[in-house]
Amino acid sequence: MERQLFFSGNEAIAHGAVRAGAGFACGYPGTPSSEIVETTARLKGIRSQWCVNEKVALETAVGASLAGVRSMVTMKHVGLNVAADPFMTLSLTGVNAGLVVVSADDPGMHSSQNEQDNRAFAKFAKVPMLEPADSQEAYDFMAEAFSLSEEFDTPVLLRTTTRVSHGRGQVLPRVPVDVPRREYARDISKYVMVPQFARLRNRLVLERLEKLRRRAEQSPLNVLEAGTSDFGIIASGVAYTYAREAFPKAWFLKLGMSHPLPCAKVVRLYEQVSRVAVVEELDPFFEEQVRALGLPVVGKAAIPWDGELDQEVVFRALEPYLLRKPPRRRRPVLPPAPRSTDPPKPAPGLPVRPPVLCPGCSHRSVFSALRRRRLAPMGDIGCYTLGALPPLLAMDSCLCMGASIGMMAGFNAALGEKAAVGVIGDSTFFHSGVTPLIDAVYNGVEGMVVILDNRTTAMTGHQGHPGSGLRPDREQGPSVDIQRLCEGIGVRCVTVDATDHAALDAAVAEEAGAPGLGVIVALAPCVLTSREKAGEVVVDEDRCNLCGLCLDLGCPSIAPGDDAVSILETCTGCGLCVEVCRRGALSLVEAGSCP
Amino acid sequence: MPLNGTTTVSLVGVGGQGILLGAAILAETASFAGLQVKASEVKGMAQRGGSVLSTVRFGARVWSPVGPRADVVIATELLEGIRGLALLRPQGTMVCATSTRVTPGSVLRREEEYPDDLAGEARRRRVRLVEVDAEGLARAAGTSRAVNVALLGAASAVLPFDPHHWRAGLEAVLPDRILEVNLRAFELGRAVVPTREVES
Repeated sequence: MERQLFFSGNEAIAHGAVRAGAGFACGYPGTPSSEIVETTARLKGIRSQWCVNEKVALETAVGASLAGVRSMVTMKHVGLNVAADPFMTLSLTGVNAGLVVVSADDPGMHSSQNEQDNRAFAKFAKVPMLEPADSQEAYDFMAEAFSLSEEFDTPVLLRTTTRVSHGRGQVLPRVPVDVPRREYARDISKYVMVPQFARLRNRLVLERLEKLRRRAEQSPLNVLEAGTSDFGIIASGVAYTYAREAFPKAWFLKLGMSHPLPCAKVVRLYEQVSRVAVVEELDPFFEEQVRALGLPVVGKAAIPWDGELDQEVVFRALEPYLLRKPPRRRRPVLPPAPRSTDPPKPAPGLPVRPPVLCPGCSHRSVFSALRRRRLAPMGDIGCYTLGALPPLLAMDSCLCMGASIGMMAGFNAALGEKAAVGVIGDSTFFHSGVTPLIDAVYNGVEGMVVILDNRTTAMTGHQGHPGSGLRPDREQGPSVDIQRLCEGIGVRCVTVDATDHAALDAAVAEEAGAPGLGVIVALAPCVLTSREKAGEVVVDEDRCNLCGLCLDLGCPSIAPGDDAVSILETCTGCGLCVEVCRRGALSLVEAGSCP
Repeated sequence: MPLNGTTTVSLVGVGGQGILLGAAILAETASFAGLQVKASEVKGMAQRGGSVLSTVRFGARVWSPVGPRADVVIATELLEGIRGLALLRPQGTMVCATSTRVTPGSVLRREEEYPDDLAGEARRRRVRLVEVDAEGLARAAGTSRAVNVALLGAASAVLPFDPHHWRAGLEAVLPDRILEVNLRAFELGRAVVPTREVES
């Protein structure tokens, strides 16, 4: 065994991640979290990068996890506010390879604008949380965090505070964990969070929460430590170390896996002692849960809510309580397992009527070009998310607004090749696609982004955005040119008329084969706003053999007949089906000309 | 479940069939009749060919914008009408445009069959069925787009409003240029159900 090392908590987290087989680490610097990625950057076998912000960092780590590499993302407490959008939905999709989100909180605000208690995020997102109390635990808990993540198919929140991250202590190194890369497999019902799939995932999240609670009861990270007095203390993290020194004779429930709360272990502590206190910095996170069991407890009535604790604060707060008569107790009531609503019962045998991409929608043309190229499309939120469903199957993921580009970057960085493409709409690009594109430039990402520019926020009802310049009162304001914006941040960018299928296909082919990072702006106004019929599609019934190539476009205007396809009157004459037909059975008669 | 005299009407159909407009007319009508009205709609996918559902509730005092089961369901399309039977309370009334069919993609692709036994399914569920050739009535009135209003006309026979309430509701919602043709469609629909029956 190697000699003991003397690590800060942050260094221990970095070494612990590498020991646990993590191959990708990213984050945005913020005290007290910054040294984690600084440390992984000096270690072998792990790719480290700073991202443009915490949201992009988490999305990038998700991309790397999908690609099959154990990934870690680090940030300070307020950074998780920025990353909350992907974090909350990541709880539903789960992961491929393990993914650990490290949040370093800052009680006392040594260098922060607030001192929010991020333990609430574990409860909010229904994900497991680990809280190391010193450097050795920080190192050891990383392996547990990654294996929990994979076993329970969930991101894991590893929460530290300033004194854990910046405190130093001996660390006994452990044997490295051998983790093979996980294969990536497309699974749209797991990774594309449209409502119909998200409802199903949500039920699994509730089931997972109950399984995690059972795991927390068994976890060696949650230890009931015998004392010699009639007094018990529940604590986690650095607060545990203060309480341990202030009350050396007390019983302890030391929580390392602190969400979900192991309620039966709490009850076991109460069976040993007549008085129990919760010692925790910031919010009464454990205390409220203990009270919900119907158990008397002293916590924030004695201990300050704000700032940091120390041994003296804890001792002075709790000493008078020890002299009082023990409180009377009722039988504790353990919380019930979470219940789901009844699953929706569709009328038996009735055809479903899912929303579909409109006839003539230019997104279909982009998807048709992309799927010829064996790229994993990391998708985003808008009408084009409808392309994820059969028969188009044009999108592998949809996590949250603006996630496509960061996920593409992480996916490609983890594999070291141009394996994924980001697909994002114009309004979503302005919402939160610009920052990950800047990030991709900075991090030298190999990849491609297609911006589906239909000049409007179509899905929600054709509202304006900075690209169209249209304001809510339909007043025309200045507009931002996407191509110039991309060029301004140093990205190769071409704009292609998305109604010109051949040109679009050629642009995608060229960009897929080019090194580095490139953007294609596929430009065509939303068909719902233009509603102009470009022409009529005519079917040569002798040539059509019902091969299905045109039907696979998922166009609602094409129907199979007995001998040939037929074109319905809703057809706009976009001509994409004519383009994909290999038998020349379809032809376009342009508007205004005589057939 | 006692609902203290609140009536719930759901309108179902396919995006673009005027479900939301029909619901607006019904809400205005109930309002002119001096009742409290609450309404709710699920329309995010309306323009992308998805199913649309709008619910209007009225009574002396209405608390919630949605109800557990509808007293009346108005369907602008046959398949959505069959699907909408599940929304009805027992002995409720389904008013359906049975001649209107909007074929879903899965049926076009021959993966599923378009169902047509609305009458049998309605019997099985013990609900009352009013079948309306709403498209024919609307065309006779002057525009095939007035299917929604022709159905409101048919449904008016089982709803507790006077003709002048309906007229005020239609006038409040519809622009002048299409008002006359819709008033005709409403009257043609109203004539479908011979005797006026108000649900108790």
